[in-house]
Amino acid sequence: MINYILKIEGISKRFFTNKVLDDINLKIKKGEVHAVVGENGAGKTTLMKIIGGIYTSSEGKIIFDGCKVNFSSPQEAINSGISIVHQELSLVPKLKVAQNIFSHREPVNRLGFIKWAELRYKAKQILKHIGVDIDPSTLVGDLSVGMQQIVEIAKALSQNAKIIIFDEPTSALSEKEVNLFYQVINDLKSKGVTIIFISHKLTEVFKISDKMSVLRDGKLIGTRKTKETSIEEIIKMMVGRELGNLYPDKSSHIGEKIFSVKGFSRKAKFEGIEFDLYKGEILGFAGLVGSGRTEVARSIFGAEKPESGEVILEGKKVEIKSPRDAIKNGICYLTEDRRNWGLFLEKTLRQNIIAASINKFVNKRGFLKNREIKEKAKHFIDYLNIKPADDKILILNLSGGNQQKTLLAQWLNAEPKILIADEPTRGVDVGAKAEIHKHLRKLVESGVGVIIISSELPEIIGLCDRIAVFNEGKITGILEKDATQEEIMKYATL
Amino acid sequence: MINDKAKNSSQLIMNSSSGHLSRLKEILDTREIGLLLIIFVASILLSIFSENFLTFSNLTSVAIGMNYDVLLALGMTLVLLSKGIDLSVGSILGLTGIITTMLLQAGVSILFAVILGLLSGTFLGFINGIFIAKFRINPFIVTLGMMAIARGLSVILTSGYFVSNLPEGYLIIGQGKFLGIPNPTYVMILFVILFDYLLRKWGPFYKAFYIGTNPDAAELSGINVSSIILAGYVISGFLSGLAAIFMTSRLAMGYAQFGLGAELKAICAAIIGGASMGGGEGSIVGAFLGVMLLAIINNGFVLLNLSIYWQGVINGLILVIAVTVDAIRRARKGKSRV
Amino acid sequence: MSLNEKFRTITKVKNLGLLTTIVLIIIGMAIFFPRFLSPINIEILGMGFVQEAIMALGMTLIIISAGIDLSIAGVMPFSAIMVGIFLNNNFGITVSILLALLLSALVGFVNAQMINRLKVHPFICTLATLTTLRGVNLVITKGETVTGFPPAFYFFGQGRVFGIPFPIFLFAVMAIAFTYLLKNHKYFQQVYFIGGNINSARYSGINIDRFIIFIYVLNSILAGIAGIITASQYISANTGFGIGIELRVITVVIIGGVSLSGGKGNIGGTILGILFLAIINNTFVQTGAPTYWQEVVYGSMLLIAVFLEEYIGAKREGTGVLKRWREFML
Ligand SMILES: Nc1ncnc2c1ncn2[C@@H]1O[C@H](COP(=O)(O)OP(=O)(O)OP(=O)(O)O)[C@@H](O)[C@H]1O
Ligand SMILES: [Mg+2]
Repeated sequence: MINYILKIEGISKRFFTNKVLDDINLKIKKGEVHAVVGENGAGKTTLMKIIGGIYTSSEGKIIFDGCKVNFSSPQEAINSGISIVHQELSLVPKLKVAQNIFSHREPVNRLGFIKWAELRYKAKQILKHIGVDIDPSTLVGDLSVGMQQIVEIAKALSQNAKIIIFDEPTSALSEKEVNLFYQVINDLKSKGVTIIFISHKLTEVFKISDKMSVLRDGKLIGTRKTKETSIEEIIKMMVGRELGNLYPDKSSHIGEKIFSVKGFSRKAKFEGIEFDLYKGEILGFAGLVGSGRTEVARSIFGAEKPESGEVILEGKKVEIKSPRDAIKNGICYLTEDRRNWGLFLEKTLRQNIIAASINKFVNKRGFLKNREIKEKAKHFIDYLNIKPADDKILILNLSGGNQQKTLLAQWLNAEPKILIADEPTRGVDVGAKAEIHKHLRKLVESGVGVIIISSELPEIIGLCDRIAVFNEGKITGILEKDATQEEIMKYATL
Repeated sequence: MINDKAKNSSQLIMNSSSGHLSRLKEILDTREIGLLLIIFVASILLSIFSENFLTFSNLTSVAIGMNYDVLLALGMTLVLLSKGIDLSVGSILGLTGIITTMLLQAGVSILFAVILGLLSGTFLGFINGIFIAKFRINPFIVTLGMMAIARGLSVILTSGYFVSNLPEGYLIIGQGKFLGIPNPTYVMILFVILFDYLLRKWGPFYKAFYIGTNPDAAELSGINVSSIILAGYVISGFLSGLAAIFMTSRLAMGYAQFGLGAELKAICAAIIGGASMGGGEGSIVGAFLGVMLLAIINNGFVLLNLSIYWQGVINGLILVIAVTVDAIRRARKGKSRV
Repeated sequence: MSLNEKFRTITKVKNLGLLTTIVLIIIGMAIFFPRFLSPINIEILGMGFVQEAIMALGMTLIIISAGIDLSIAGVMPFSAIMVGIFLNNNFGITVSILLALLLSALVGFVNAQMINRLKVHPFICTLATLTTLRGVNLVITKGETVTGFPPAFYFFGQGRVFGIPFPIFLFAVMAIAFTYLLKNHKYFQQVYFIGGNINSARYSGINIDRFIIFIYVLNSILAGIAGIITASQYISANTGFGIGIELRVITVVIIGGVSLSGGKGNIGGTILGILFLAIINNTFVQTGAPTYWQEVVYGSMLLIAVFLEEYIGAKREGTGVLKRWREFML
């Protein structure tokens, strides 16, 4: 008799008329690391939210630890020992790290008053255990997205759960933190904690999982032992066909200089940033989380003010005081934080696609050209394969990966001369990722300058023609395309 | 029960997703049509119970009463749309009315006085806008401050007395009629149509929807957030000024307490009409219908000789019913956060 | 420490703009009107604003939770009227007060249920209850003033405890309790999660619906208490009580630094806000300035105080970064 800690039997889920999960049957053994993979919108997050009591299923039942459970709130799930690290970060920015880690489980005295010292101490312990040095008294809002993800992980760890569900926990982490995360997983495993793990980074999945299940269009395609399968097989199960190259060919000819940044500095953030961008190349920004790449990009774009420095576009110095100026000059920035800074969650897919280019869709007197807008939206939905292909759906009802594709469409639509893309493929599935890489390459070939910020070294190495490595607010080296991971890491941690 | 119905009706939408039928369904499923229906039913009931309701003179007087509220509700819709609020519309109305009528009393020509009046309303809105959009101070506080200042100034300027003895020519603005319908009604309808059209179709106005939904993302999308927010308050100020001119010329006097409490009515109407406190939503025609609904109910109380004491209760209930119906409609369409 | 650095450190103090304005007014008043700081005047100052002060405690919680409650302006006269009616019907003081507070709590419960069930913005739900309650008050009283309170009831508005007027004493006790609870108690702390990120609160297992009920009921009860105090002060009750009081209460909370978008603020700020308005209020009493100037000065002071706060806040943030829109919009 095998000891299954979690049995999912015949689970289906509908949102209105849209069937998102269809008769899922899955058994998970105690103590195993079980990966769940699948394309964007396959239903992974929805399934996890059902397990965690956030959604209720339309049909089917869940058997946890031998008894049938029917969670009607996250609280019940947490109390029975199921924790989730959510895909969309769910921390309170205005509260401190310690408060967030122990939210609603603060150590209290008999009267319910919080013991602050103990709270801070316990938070510190957990963070230390993971291996990061975050002061538990910092406000979460002051942390980078990557660090916030670590806090989110710490929060799940502190709940002492029997099952921890990680929904794309590493999407905002860089190499160094990812390694810390692997250690955490191993540690949990040795303590007998069961782990469900969702990720689009297949190498990572192969590295840490014991078993993996593939979802496609809301159906369970199959479960495999990790040792007995291959990346090729899994990808085929995921997308229903074989996938070509992950990365397009690199540039064959580099043209003239089109864009340069000189002497960019801002106190305590970055210093003396200088680089050039040539026609026909993709420039990569590599570095650890918090190395200042995003701040530099935001400053070039006019979203923050640098203390000194200038931007030269096509040989002319341009004055950028606001994002509006930048966009007028053709400099566009795709944010790493799509929910807070990028998308309009309560608006439709169509409205989001034209958000950064409304001025391109009006006639001389400023009136909207609705037919053109509709056609353009349809074009991008096809081009990036956004699902569901309904341009009137609200963005908040899209899966994470499809939201990311919408953000990309928003900026491609603005027809940039220079595109700075901050984690453009965060949370995007393998197939779509290869597509996006191809589109970026095409963009470069049509004369657009592209800068990619990515925490995934393989992506940087696979895609970029040159790589600028950031370290604590400075560029420590600019490497050519044949750079190795080790080389990049050396400059990044100098 | 609701669930089953929801399934059926959305099934229908899915099935006829192509062609004019779905377009028609979409239009029929809007809040505006729902409001129109409620108004229609209320009118029928009223005309059954009171023979005076469907008379020309009664309907004109309802229209005149609506006129000021509609102008204020238009401005309020724009402001709510961009995630703001304007509590000062009522007192800007009061102050502008005082300024205009006092200028007239002082012998300033009618045209000039009206222009100066409109300008002063616009200017007060501009001050609101500057504090909010440029200094980035909470709109609730700023317009609350303006509300107190403008009302106080009105009282100080008049020492609480009426400003009367206005020139005949001025009174024509509000009291004159064309084809039997009062002048201000034309202006009101013109503004409703104009603003509704602009809000749906005109780029600069349309951007306000984005600002209200996520102002930071709007800024990063290159939308000129502060200018558009500023414009909303300026327009709101202007419309309050216009309402003041209609009111003072209609009643042939200026009085410091004109427009007292008008802000809550305007907010109510805007929200019944589809605006949301969270920003990013709103409809001009909806706000117009919201005012209309409130005005007809008001009228019903007068016609049926009902105790005025119950009016607050009824108005409150209407508000609840309107937003509840809408909440259900939105949930059914999957438009609210789950 | 250089001057600049010193300035930075000073600006770290929260509510500095407000504090400065308050201190300046006090100094100015003390110079020109020495009576201003006399015990009698301080008592007048306190009693002139004690209803708002009591209600602001609950409103602070409500606004931190990203909500708002306009209905208190209806609850306050409602409770005053009801207590009067019960007393007139010989229910006895304790029972009358308890019943009035119970009815007030009921209004809060209705508000919370509407917010939880209908998922409609609190502004609208409570606006609806406000309008309804105003109507109800008129219907009950037929627009007349309720009188005939027994002398023993006068204590709540006019009595003294340790030489301090009872309402002020009550407020002081509650203010201390609220400050401490909000800062340190686990149950009260939930409000920051709910206002700061409702999904986070939900995923952490906070029972949001129940907490919403708690704070709206609490807020209504406080408004009910304010109503009873007012009735006892005036030895009468009518529908005119509490006109515009919701705006004054919200104002003190917001100028105290609680943001309407939720998740931020504390009782200390609110108390400063109360002080600010109470002083301005009192200034007019003292100077004998015509009352119609009051609103102008009040409005201007409000703008100046928030402007200073923002200006100093911008210095505090350092250079370069404009305040994010979402941090101050509704
Ligand atoms: N609240 C909702 N309302 C309506 N539809 C929803 C809702 N949440 C998710 N969906 C839909 O359900 C489908 C599955 O979404 P889900 O988030 O589970 O995908 P996922 O597998 O996690 O994808 P990703 O890898 O992009 O995160 C998507 O098509 C999405 O549009
Ligand atoms: Mg997902």
